[in-house]
Amino acid sequence: MSSPPDISPAEKPFMNAYLAGFLLGLVLLSAFVFMGRGLGASGAFTTALSTGVHAIAPAHAEGNAFYAGYLGDGTSNPLKDWLVFEVLGVFAGGFLSGALANRLKVRIEKGPRISNPRRLIFAAVGGALMGIGAKLALGCTSGQALSGGALLNVGSWAFMLCVFGGAYGLAWFFRRAWL
Amino acid sequence: MIAPFFKYGMFGDEMSLVVAFVTGIAFGFVLERAGFGNARVLAAQFYFRELRVFKVMFTAIITAMVGVYFLGRFGALDVSLIYLTPTFLGPQIVGGLILGAGFIIGGYCPGTSCVSAATGRIDGMVFLAGMMGGLVGFAEIYPTIEPYTKLTSFGQVTLPGLFDVSYGFLVFAVVVMAFLAFVAAEWAEKLIGHKVPGPGDLTEPGRKLTSVRAFALGLTGLGVVALLAGSPYRTAFARVDTKQLALDAGSAAAGVKATELADWIVQGRNDYLLIDVRDGADYATYHIPGALSVPLASLTPDFARRNEHIVFYGDSEMQAAQAWYLLRSLGYPSAGMLAGGLDAWKNGVLYPQAPAEGAAPAAQIDFARRTAVAKFLGGAPRGAGSVSLETATPALPQLKLPAAVTTPDVNRPVKKKKEGC
Repeated sequence: MSSPPDISPAEKPFMNAYLAGFLLGLVLLSAFVFMGRGLGASGAFTTALSTGVHAIAPAHAEGNAFYAGYLGDGTSNPLKDWLVFEVLGVFAGGFLSGALANRLKVRIEKGPRISNPRRLIFAAVGGALMGIGAKLALGCTSGQALSGGALLNVGSWAFMLCVFGGAYGLAWFFRRAWL
Repeated sequence: MIAPFFKYGMFGDEMSLVVAFVTGIAFGFVLERAGFGNARVLAAQFYFRELRVFKVMFTAIITAMVGVYFLGRFGALDVSLIYLTPTFLGPQIVGGLILGAGFIIGGYCPGTSCVSAATGRIDGMVFLAGMMGGLVGFAEIYPTIEPYTKLTSFGQVTLPGLFDVSYGFLVFAVVVMAFLAFVAAEWAEKLIGHKVPGPGDLTEPGRKLTSVRAFALGLTGLGVVALLAGSPYRTAFARVDTKQLALDAGSAAAGVKATELADWIVQGRNDYLLIDVRDGADYATYHIPGALSVPLASLTPDFARRNEHIVFYGDSEMQAAQAWYLLRSLGYPSAGMLAGGLDAWKNGVLYPQAPAEGAAPAAQIDFARRTAVAKFLGGAPRGAGSVSLETATPALPQLKLPAAVTTPDVNRPVKKKKEGC
């Protein structure tokens, strides 16, 4: 089946990349100034997952150092967490911007040479790798590369180079998914 | 008013969640505006068709980096209080490569997939579901792989500290490299993506000073100023919260037990700084393996990062407490001290007392463990009742570091000083 081209005329063009980067930099700077910490994403999902596992199998979650690390000391609800609320905001902000630019539409983003089911399998596999990689590296593109990059953190820069390296290294093998 | 506002107690936990939500809205809004809700835009980066990911990310990094530097330099922001993810080089390299693979296969990263899902993309939603699966998998194997996730630990370390150059120089260098890379990125887009440079590009034809070019010149100018303007780490942030200090001093949280510290040393942990506050001569005679010598008199307010977990020790707890009190009032939230000082180290770790005859098996096992630790650190156990604590206090062993002990980065505080403010 062929899906229509993904950019319909009604959609507004994307923002200039440098302007978007400048605004993103200001958002990041304000997080440093207000909170003394950077932006993040993957940590919120880990907290949500740990809370969920704890609700279903409390003993299992408490016995696993990974889950336990995201559950806190039990004095407050682990979901009352900075990253959880920030990521809720990301969903809201993304939706708001998409609505204002006429970009809200149920669809699958993919290259012209890949089927829908295959694209979704790739998305799931990519997501799983992302979850593993982010936990191993103590952060994802937001928490490590972006926030740590601006703070000249050694590990963040090594991480960032490897993200680009890994993606460029495999790009040729997955060209049918995108081109 | 000094930032970070939250860490200086200007608002509490509840308010921080409001700040989180508002920050997140701005974050998500900008990501969507940049086109990052669309996996094809993101993936185009890796075929050199459209390098938006690179441009947006590095413009954000240099903007925030220059902002942090100057706010710190002018004393509006206490830079050393900003959370810095500790560096575990090996795991971060492997994690980065895995994440890069996930990026090209799945088309998103965690933050962008949220925006993608929020704007109706099914692939973004599936990606998020896959990520939850990956997290479950990681959690379940974590007990097995945990030791490997802690390898090649460098603690909290920045590029200026690693290369021993000034912070301002790094700011300058990164800004210049970023803009050179942006020009290269636009050439790549022209060559491979057949995208003609137009308005909003740095390489737009003509010599007009467009706003993008003005921005590039402005940030580069700030980079040059940073090169000459000194360290962003301000030191005059003393703010004594006597009530909090009194509470902390009374609680056990500030003290690290001698046996606990010994375990850290045996495990080769280096996510803490162990500081000997006695005189240099005493330090030369004996010090705990891995300890740095910073006599009380030379304890400057900027001797370490404020985030660092610091453990002070002296002959007695009193001696360390002076250093602890000073640093806590200077805003080092994670300063602590060795409970009982070197006396406790000697009696509890180096020369552990054997339990009495017929003691519980648990005590016997613990003693066997303690004996191994004592021998590792150059001490020896004492038999039950053979030598009493009062009559013969054994001398401290001559300083011999066991070969296997990894010392925390000994050069770090020295470098900090050289960086100079």
